[in-house]
Parts: sequence; C-alpha cells; structure tokens
Amino acid sequence: MMTIAKTRLGVALALVLAAGTAFAANDYVKIAFTSDPGTADSQLTTDWYAIPLNIYDRLVEAQTTKPGVSELVPGLAEKWTPSADGLTYTFNLRKGVKFSNGETFKADDVLFTFDRMLNPATKALNTDFLDMIAGASDRMAGKADSVSGIKVVDDYTIKITLAKPFAPFIANLATPAGSIYNRKATLAAGDQFGIDPKKTVGTGAFTLESWVVNDNIQLKANPSYFRGKPTLGGIDIKISPDANTQRMQFENGELDVLDLDNATSQIPYFLGDAKWKSQIASGPRVGIYYYALNESIKPLDNVNIRKALQMAIDRKTILDKLYNGRGALENGIFPKGLLGNNPKLPVIPYDPKKAKDMIAKAGFPDGFDMEIAQVTDSPSTLKINEAVQAMLAEVGVRVKITQMDSASYFATRKEGKLPAYESSWSADYNDPDNFIYTFFSEKNTVARSYNYGNKDVFAKLESTRTMTDQAKRMSIYQALEKTIVQDDAAWIPLFSLEHLFVLQPRVKNFKVSWNGWSDMPYFGITLTK
Amino acid sequence: MSDLTLGPEVAQTLPEPVWKEIVAAFARNRLAVVGLGILLIVAFVALAAPLLAPYDPYKVKLGEQFLNPSWNHPIGTDMFGRDVFSRILYGTRISLLIGLVPTLISMTIGVILGLVSGYFGRRVDFLIMMLADMVLSFPSLLLAMIVMYTLGASLLNIFIALSAVGWAGTARVVRAQTLALKNKEFIEASRAIGTKDIAIMLKHILPNCLPQLLVLFTLNIPDSILSEASLSFLGIGAQPPAASWGLMVAGGREFLFNAPWVAIAPGIAILITVLAFNFLGDGLRDALDPYLKS
Amino acid sequence: MGRYIIKKLLISIPVMFGIMLTTFFLLNVIPGDPIALMMKDHISVDVVARVRAQMHLDDPVFIRFFRFLGGALHGDFGISYKLNRPVSYLLATAFPNTLALALSAALVSWIIGIPAGILSAVKRYSLVDNFFMGFSVLGVSMPVFWTGLLFQYIFSLKLHLLPVAGFKGPLYLIMPAIVLGWSSAGTIARLTRSSLLEVMRNDYIRTARAKGLREIAVVVRHALKNSMLPVVTVMALQVSGLLSGAVITESVFGIPGVGRIAVNAIQNRDMPLLQGSVVLTTFLVIIGNLTADIVYSWLDPRIRYGNPEGKK
Repeated sequence: MMTIAKTRLGVALALVLAAGTAFAANDYVKIAFTSDPGTADSQLTTDWYAIPLNIYDRLVEAQTTKPGVSELVPGLAEKWTPSADGLTYTFNLRKGVKFSNGETFKADDVLFTFDRMLNPATKALNTDFLDMIAGASDRMAGKADSVSGIKVVDDYTIKITLAKPFAPFIANLATPAGSIYNRKATLAAGDQFGIDPKKTVGTGAFTLESWVVNDNIQLKANPSYFRGKPTLGGIDIKISPDANTQRMQFENGELDVLDLDNATSQIPYFLGDAKWKSQIASGPRVGIYYYALNESIKPLDNVNIRKALQMAIDRKTILDKLYNGRGALENGIFPKGLLGNNPKLPVIPYDPKKAKDMIAKAGFPDGFDMEIAQVTDSPSTLKINEAVQAMLAEVGVRVKITQMDSASYFATRKEGKLPAYESSWSADYNDPDNFIYTFFSEKNTVARSYNYGNKDVFAKLESTRTMTDQAKRMSIYQALEKTIVQDDAAWIPLFSLEHLFVLQPRVKNFKVSWNGWSDMPYFGITLTK
Repeated sequence: MSDLTLGPEVAQTLPEPVWKEIVAAFARNRLAVVGLGILLIVAFVALAAPLLAPYDPYKVKLGEQFLNPSWNHPIGTDMFGRDVFSRILYGTRISLLIGLVPTLISMTIGVILGLVSGYFGRRVDFLIMMLADMVLSFPSLLLAMIVMYTLGASLLNIFIALSAVGWAGTARVVRAQTLALKNKEFIEASRAIGTKDIAIMLKHILPNCLPQLLVLFTLNIPDSILSEASLSFLGIGAQPPAASWGLMVAGGREFLFNAPWVAIAPGIAILITVLAFNFLGDGLRDALDPYLKS
Repeated sequence: MGRYIIKKLLISIPVMFGIMLTTFFLLNVIPGDPIALMMKDHISVDVVARVRAQMHLDDPVFIRFFRFLGGALHGDFGISYKLNRPVSYLLATAFPNTLALALSAALVSWIIGIPAGILSAVKRYSLVDNFFMGFSVLGVSMPVFWTGLLFQYIFSLKLHLLPVAGFKGPLYLIMPAIVLGWSSAGTIARLTRSSLLEVMRNDYIRTARAKGLREIAVVVRHALKNSMLPVVTVMALQVSGLLSGAVITESVFGIPGVGRIAVNAIQNRDMPLLQGSVVLTTFLVIIGNLTADIVYSWLDPRIRYGNPEGKK
C-alpha cells in the first residue's frame, strides 16, 4: 500500500517536473517588470514605455552615440526640415516600411496617430508631447474634428505646423509618446488596441505575441523589420512585483537581465560578488535626484531656511554609503549628459554649523518640525529619507516621515499640498526644457507641490521655450537654473546616478539607452547559445 | 444540561472553575509551560529594554552598515548601521503593543456587541450580526489594508485597523454564550427581582464567558502580531524609525543574501513570541476545556 | 434545510451590499486620484482634469456608487482603470490560479494538520504530541512572506529544486502551496485534536476500550469518524483565511491571482476592479460558510436548521 502510494507520488512528481521545464524558447531574453503595464498603447500611459519602444517606431529616434551623449537620428522619417520661423516642419518618410499586419506605412498613418492622441475620445494621457501643434487645443477641447496643424502632402510627406515655435519639438517626437500606429489596424482594434496582442500593430523590431495579465508578456521578433531581423527570438517579460523575488529569479537563471533599479539594495552584493561583478552593465542616467520643498508650508517659505536645508544634507555621504558612489553630485537642475548642463555651477557645501546658524537667525533657535512625505511601498526612498532625517536632526530639524499610499501621494501632490519629498526625474528628451519647465513653470510648480513663486522666472520660462536661437536659449536656461536653485533654493539637488543592470553571461551587446531608462529598446541585443 | 436545578444565585451552566485542577492540567502540558516561560522572558525584555540594549536602536551610523555579528554587535548591524540586537530588544515593546492593544480593543468591542446582541435579540441582534457577517465575509487582510489606506499608515491606525477586523469573532462567541444563558432560571430569577439588564450582563453572563475569552485573548495576540507583519510587507505597517519586528523583517528581507541576520533575527523573534502565545493559548484551552462548553 | 439555505443566501445580499458600500466609501473619503496615479511624475493638471471628466470621476460618490451598482446587477463590473480590461475577464483569468493555490494549500494543511491532531490527541502530553503539535503550530507562527522567502532561498537558490516565482505549471505551485498550507495546518491540527479528545470521553469509546480493543483501533474505528465533523466544517471555513493568505503568497511567488488583483486595485484606487474582487471574494467566503453549514447538517442530523442557536 505504502509503496504503491510512493511510486504514484514519484510518477506524479516526475510529470510535474517535466511540465515545469518545457517553457519559453531559449532565444528569448528574459526580463522582469515590477507590475503589469496594463496597456501597450503609449498614448494611454506616461509610465510604461518598454513595450512601445520595442513594438513601434517613431518618426525620429534618440540614440546613444557614446556614454551620456545622444543624438536624434532618422526613424520612420528619413529627414525633416524646419521652416525659417521655426513653426513648420516637413517630414520626408521612409518608403517600403511595413506594419506587422502587412500594411505599408504612409503619411496618413502619422496623421491618424497624432490626431488620435489629441482626439478627446481617446482619453490620452500623453498629449503634452503634441499639444504645441497648431489646432491641438481645439481638437482636445472637442471644438474641431481634426488638427489644423497636420497636413499630409503626399503618401511620403507630411507637414506639421506649430502654434508657437518650440525648439524641442523634434526631440519630443522621439519619445515613446511619438510612436506611430497604423490607421486601419488601430481603428479595427478599437479599445483592444494595446491590449489584444493580435490587434496591436506596429512597425517595430518586435510584435506583441501574448499577454497574460499580471504574469507574463511575450514579444516576438519581427522578421521583416526595416532595420533587419532582430537576433533575439523575442522578449519574455515576467511580472514580478517583489524586488527580492526578482533578484532570486535572476540568480536561479529565470531572468537574463536584472534591472538593479528594481533591486537597489542588491547593488553592493552584485558589485562585490566574484561571479557577477564582471557581468554588470552600467550607463549614465540623464536624470537628477532631488528633494522638493513646498514653499506654502511654513517655515519652508523662508528662503534662508531652504538654503540651510540645502547645506544640512551630506549628499556625498548619501551617495557613497547608500548608492556606492556610483554617480555624481549635482548642484542645479540639468544633470550630466543633458544639453545645457553647467559643470561650473558653484558647489552647494555641506555645512551643518552654518545651517544651524541660519536656522537660528531665521527665528528658530530651537530648530523646527518638518514633514517629509513618501509612498508606502518604496524601501529605497525610505532609506534615503531615514538618512536625511538623521542628518537634519543634527541641525535641530525634527523630521517626521509620512508614508502615504501612492494614490493619495500623487493626488495630494497634484493639489500642491504635499510636504517635502524626495524623487528623481530623468529625461524624456534631451533638452533643458524637459526639466526646468516640468518643475518650475507657473503651470507645473503647483502640480508638483513646489509652489515656487518667482514671477520673473515664470515669464522667462515661457518666452525661452519659443526661441529658436539654440545658444542663446541655453545661456538663458543656465542663468535661470542658477536663480532657481542657488538664489531661491527652490529645491535641493542631490545627485545623478548610474543605472546598473546585471546580465547573465549569455547576454551580449547590451547597451543602456541614452537617458538611462529601464524601459529600453532590445533591438541589437544578442544571446549566445 | 437542564438537570442543573440549583438555587438562582449559585446556578451556573458550567461548573465553577477549580483552579487547582486547571493549573495541574496546564502544568502537564510541556509546550504550554514553555510558552508561558518564554512570554515571561519577553515581557521582562520589553520592560528592561533600555537597560539591556547595548546601543541606541535608532542611531544611524552610515559608516557601519551591515557589520557581521561580533562581540560588539551580537546580531550585527542593519542597512543604517544600527545595532540589530538593540533594535530587537526595543522592538519587543512595539510588537507586544501591537499584539495587545488591538486585541484588547477588539475584544472589548466584541464583548459589548456580543452581549447586547445575544441579550436583547431581535433587530439589534440582526443588525450587529449582519455587521459581524460583513467583517467575517471579507478576507481580513484586505479589510485591514483598506482601513490602513483610508486612515494612513501609523501605529495608532494599525491598532484601529486590526481592531476593526478583529471584533467580529469575539462578538459571535459571546453572543452564543449569552443566548445559551439568558433564559436560564438564575438569570430569569435575577431579572424578576429587578436587577438591571446591564448588571445581569456584567454579573451573570460575562463571568461565564471568561474562560473562552481568556483563550481567545491569548490566541488573538499572535494573530495581531502576524497581521502587522503582513501589513508591513505590503508597506503599510508600523512607521520608521520606530521599528516593530514586522517592519524589521519586511525592511530587511532585501538583504537576505549579504546580511541575512537583518531579516532572519527579527523573524525568529516573531516566531518565538507568536509560538509561545500559541502554545500558551492551546494549553489554556486544554486546561479550561471542561469550562468552555455551553 | 432548503429554506435555511435560501434564508442564508438572502441575508448574504445585504452583507455583500454593505461590504461594497463600505469599501467604496472608505477609499473615496481619502485623497486618491487614479489618473494622477497613472501619470505619476508626468502629471499634467489639464490632462488629469480632462480625463477625469471624461470618466465621470468628478461625479458625487453616491452617484458613482449607484452607477457601478447598476452595472454590477447586469453582471457588468466595468473596465479596470489600470489594466484596461473588463473586470469580469480579469477575475475570470485570475480565479483559477487562486483556486489552484487555495485547494492545494488546503490539501497541505489537511495532510499536516489531521495526522498531527490525531497523534497528539491519542498520545496526549507525550513527546509525540509535543512534536507534532509544535510542528503544526510552527506554521501558524511565522509571517507567511518570511516563510516564503526562506523556502525560496533554500529550495530554489541553494538546492535548485524549484523555480523561485511565476506560474507556468504545477511545479510552480509546490512551494506556495506548502507555505500557505502550513500556515493554516495549526488550526486544523488543533481542531482535530480537541474534537477527538471530546469524542474519546464519550461512553461508547469507553465501552470499546473496555471490550479490549487496542487504542489505535478505538481511535480509527470509533472516534475518528465522529470527530471529523467539526474538522470538515472548518475546511469550508478555511476559505477566508486562505484568501487572506493568498494575498501575500501570490505576491511573494508571483502568482497572477485574485489576491494580487485585489491588492493592486486598492493601491491603484482602481475602483471597478476592487469592487469586482470584493464581490468575488465575499461570495466565495459566503459559499464556504454555507457549505460548512450544509456539510455539518448532512453529517449530523441532530442539528435543526430552523433554529440553529437553540432559541426558544
């Protein structure tokens, strides 16, 4: 009796073991996401670009030429010509490109795609990247049935006119939000576009193959990709919410690439491990870590208090101890690698004594209480906040760390009511506008809970956007950067960090993308047998 | 059960607890005795933490992260260079609070609602039991999570969230007991001589529930401690730097490989304490067994 | 009996309604904006305002609630904000995974709990009792995610026997089922033990013993059958506990189940998805309770269902 049961159990176990190993073709690179993106339609997400970057192409692409340096190269557009007034761009499109449904790519697809983004019925979240086009605001408001600024000249030429000159326009089109869809397929797919793999059509190096929500997404190589068939068979994306689980999956060979942004605490281990330290791929991230200070919360309305806070944080120690020194201190807004970065900015010193003095002089001889907010499920943010809490305690500032769930956090921040917080921003496109306007323009400063109030800066930010003289634009931006950070102390810049990945030895030719994002194109990466 | 025909003042549905027998039965159960012993030690540690702890549990020393266990740091240091041993000793206080406070609150609520529900019956009973059904029909962790999201993460709100999900079980037990007792002769006699309802509930019914409540109490505490650990895992448990064991495990689990002590040691602290409560509860249940049935 | 079931089902309607109402309102009194959350750092006040208006998110809470309720009555739970798919589809795909996890975990809990309960009842206060009860209670005494972590570390990373996480076949179910099952084995063991002890105090057991039957025969032939009654009931009542445990287990082991959907829905203020999972989980628990009642009465005809509490 017992032995029969045992044999049966053995057979069952063997079957189970066999079943478990027969999955995922070996030429698929196995990567992980922390949560399900929900859609592959880049018009409907501002957050999940990995799939769009791989299954669609854009008119223009941003490409890394050497570490930290990028340029815009032709994508679906072979060339583009701006008019002298900087208002009109003419795009000559690539011929012979096919969508994965067999349709040929034409100017009408570009018209359709951009119009779809601005069509209110789409409920698009990414309109900011196209709303400078003439007629965009009417379209978004439902006052027009088309976008007046987009005109198809012929099948392979399209003209886009802007409402006002906007220097970073071309760079904008190179972001994932500029991904080009096929009119026929997208209309046919309806609300299944970006969701149903069969109905999600692009021109990209990969096509969406399967999607099991919260579990697994597979992309398959597109054999007729216009730049050539990818060497990878495909991409196998596991949805693995826990950092620690991802790390174990990697060590157990269930992942080929471990994005250390998803497991920051593991960086020292991998850097020090004999087996893995040579397997680390790193690239600079065009991005900055910072503390936002809410000027509508006392005593942060006092510029001297804000300056004291800038000086009370030992940024070097945080960088060295919590981030293994893999980065560089930043003193402004534009990080290394971004156009307009100013290496000559004065360094913000670490001077707790002076900070304490300034706080006392500002009327707080016994220090003051302040709040730092963060989302609940981010151990890496908690880590830096706890370090800063300890540092500010040294100058008499009693910090309370308030953890909020992310929905409350972002809602409160939108209202301009979030206390100080730590966060980071990395470039969507290579232009200072993507940083300075995002944080310190009149429109955005409340939505990100700065409540910065320098009217002169607001005016200059609006006017500089429309300038066409690149050199002059950069010099104005650099002056503004100095005013905002060093004179007004509107935020506390911390550092820029390298982005590290660990790779299984079979992964070759892995390149961190120009801006150092986790979401990156996988075209060009190969796997050895 | 109807053969109890003693006078109204002494009549009980259950035999009067004979403490000698209970203690003897309890003492035969080795696990329970061990559990009690451990809990006495844990309670002592909680009281004497400042005297026992070699370091300030909150002192961040960024130069001394992840030191291996040594004579200086018996369980090493954590990601902030804080002494893990000292943190565990101090964590005893918070974790015991997290075990005790919600249990006390939820059982008080449960007792009151259970008494009222069983004693008055009818609509009150229907409403309260409906409420209890609601709480019991929804996975408790999800409910606690929703409450935590609504109120925000803090120690006080953990107490509230765990109480909000914990009272229903007690209410049911007390209600059943009350139902079984309320029509007994001694209660009716008491009512006949004009004793107020509240006095009847407190003097006659509640004492009969005590053995059951004692067992529930001991077994609810470990539940609270574990629930808080789960909430910490989901990022909405106790708030740093005041570390509960649950938070220490949740925060330390990332370092299982390079510094296993950071997550394993507080996990073992939870394990030992919760196990001790469970053993104690099981032992009490066993020893009080004759007095638990209505 | 039939009338009793109908009555129970009728009561469960207001219960379910109450739970939906409570969760909906609780998560609506706090600031939380699914669109702002979706946009995260790319927040644009204009876009949020426009899309919110389009999705009718700015309507008063009770109007939204009754709109949802109207749909739900027709079986339409709406479309998840975050996952962009119909809630019914998401739950239908996730449910089998949770069911597989819960059933296999329940099985594990019985395999550990019932023998442990029997042994410790038969050999009361012995070392065997201590060992088996200790082992079962150990499972209840550890945070599930901690046990899961240690299992992954030992069985995947050190011994390379099992995959760390994911859900691609029965192999992926072994660790989560054991971790979750062990965590409720203690309850089963306790119950088996106490009900067996109770039965063994009965007269017919004494008679059987007096007839000179061996202890083990007494237990197996007479006591066990009768003591399984409460145990079977508890099996049905396990549903709620297993679902709670599944929330954590599914996250640790990357199983795309209902627990994870519910957690994500709460985190993302994804109200349609949350309400859908609330209805589903509540329904499962109610069904579990009802099954317990039915099984109980079926095994023990002495129970009269018109009057379960013995009211006069």
